[in-house]
Amino acid sequence: MHCTVLLFAQLAESIGSDRLALQLPDGATIEQALNELGSQHEIIASMRNTLAVAIHDRYCPHKTTLNDGDTLALIPPVSGG
Amino acid sequence: MRYTESAVRIVDELQRYHRQILLPDIGESGQRRLLQSHALIVGGGALGTMIADALARAGVGTLSIVDRDTVELTNLQRQVLYDEDDVAQMIPKAEAAKNKLARINSQVVVHGHVDDFSARNAERYVEGVDVILDGLDNFETRYLLNDVAVKHGLPYVYGGAVGTTGMSFLVLPHPQCRAETGRSLVRWSAAQSTPCLRCVFPEAPPPGASPTCDTAGVLGAAVAIIAAHQCAQAIKLLTGNLDKVDRSLLSIDVWLNQQRTLDISGARDSDDCPCCVRGDWAYLQGRAGGAVTTLCGRDAVQITPGPDGSQPKRLDLAAMAAKLSPHGSFTQNAYLMHGRFSNERSANGEPVELTLFPDGRAIIKGTDDLGTARSIYAKYIGA
Repeated sequence: MHCTVLLFAQLAESIGSDRLALQLPDGATIEQALNELGSQHEIIASMRNTLAVAIHDRYCPHKTTLNDGDTLALIPPVSGG
Repeated sequence: MRYTESAVRIVDELQRYHRQILLPDIGESGQRRLLQSHALIVGGGALGTMIADALARAGVGTLSIVDRDTVELTNLQRQVLYDEDDVAQMIPKAEAAKNKLARINSQVVVHGHVDDFSARNAERYVEGVDVILDGLDNFETRYLLNDVAVKHGLPYVYGGAVGTTGMSFLVLPHPQCRAETGRSLVRWSAAQSTPCLRCVFPEAPPPGASPTCDTAGVLGAAVAIIAAHQCAQAIKLLTGNLDKVDRSLLSIDVWLNQQRTLDISGARDSDDCPCCVRGDWAYLQGRAGGAVTTLCGRDAVQITPGPDGSQPKRLDLAAMAAKLSPHGSFTQNAYLMHGRFSNERSANGEPVELTLFPDGRAIIKGTDDLGTARSIYAKYIGA
């Protein structure tokens, strides 16, 4: 199945794009999506446990099963102040 | 009609809040609740000063501000309570903020604490407060703040800003893990509780993975939006408007004209959160986090000596300045000792600066390398 991944802040900056296309097996979870993305992009691998993942602006746990056509937003925390 | 003296005093007391009292959800009773409230602001940087300024003007009766730093020239671009005199005199931020706020609203009691908010003092600072506002610049201390808020059942308003972006959300801890009976005038049920910081962001970003004010810069306008959101949340809570608080995560980029609200209501159900589900307060108990921290936007490292829970040291700053004089130029005032090393240079060739506080805490400026900072501390101050 095909999913779209939206990237924000340092993820977008580091990868050089604010969105990625992702091909996953049917029934894949967010966890598997992060594994796949982490294998392609070091910064996602290093930040996977600090990211909030949202689908349609709703926080989703990593065990959530994805559907074909889903758009995932990977949101890192903001640390400065 | 003749007013009694006390009636005149009450009218005068509330007069300055007239435009706020006009708001139907606040009114006179809401204003009186604000005047009886106590807000703790941890961090006196850009977020902290904007929050403190707004809450003092709004009439939050008692404000406590905890900050470890002194005012620097590069702070003035966005840290609204400070001025050039504070820089010239090297006034600690908590003191400078207290002095300014006293001139803004003499009705408000302000406690300025020149201190590093840590596991050894966190529970003391939350005693008697009604709401905690986050003006911090690092995640380690935020997790500590989250731990203490959950343990004591206190509302905690997270905020962060860097570059042109910012983020904020409210934590109303679930009563399941409350170990202390907080005296906050804000009350909520289990059904009204929200996920905590670690439900949404389970781990701190690894070193180097997140932009800092140092690497990415920071726009004051982005900070102002986040600080305003945090203040609105606090004022709603303190005036009894729990039904009006924003339960979503706000994320903005003021430069790219992006605003996102994320529904985080499912975050707590989703995970076995160590903090608000299991009640394992690792940061508060000193089992997580270290005593050496890089400071956002400062090219500096802070070292807090001794394990958490140990008695703080009391250094003789004059003696220390004399001891260090062969190695550079050092002076002290009532709050700190400061100076530049003649033989320690930063990567760009500038002298490394040392600020030392009576409890042994040091800020070493001119490096962001923890090992280098530890080495300088051990060499000149001693572990």
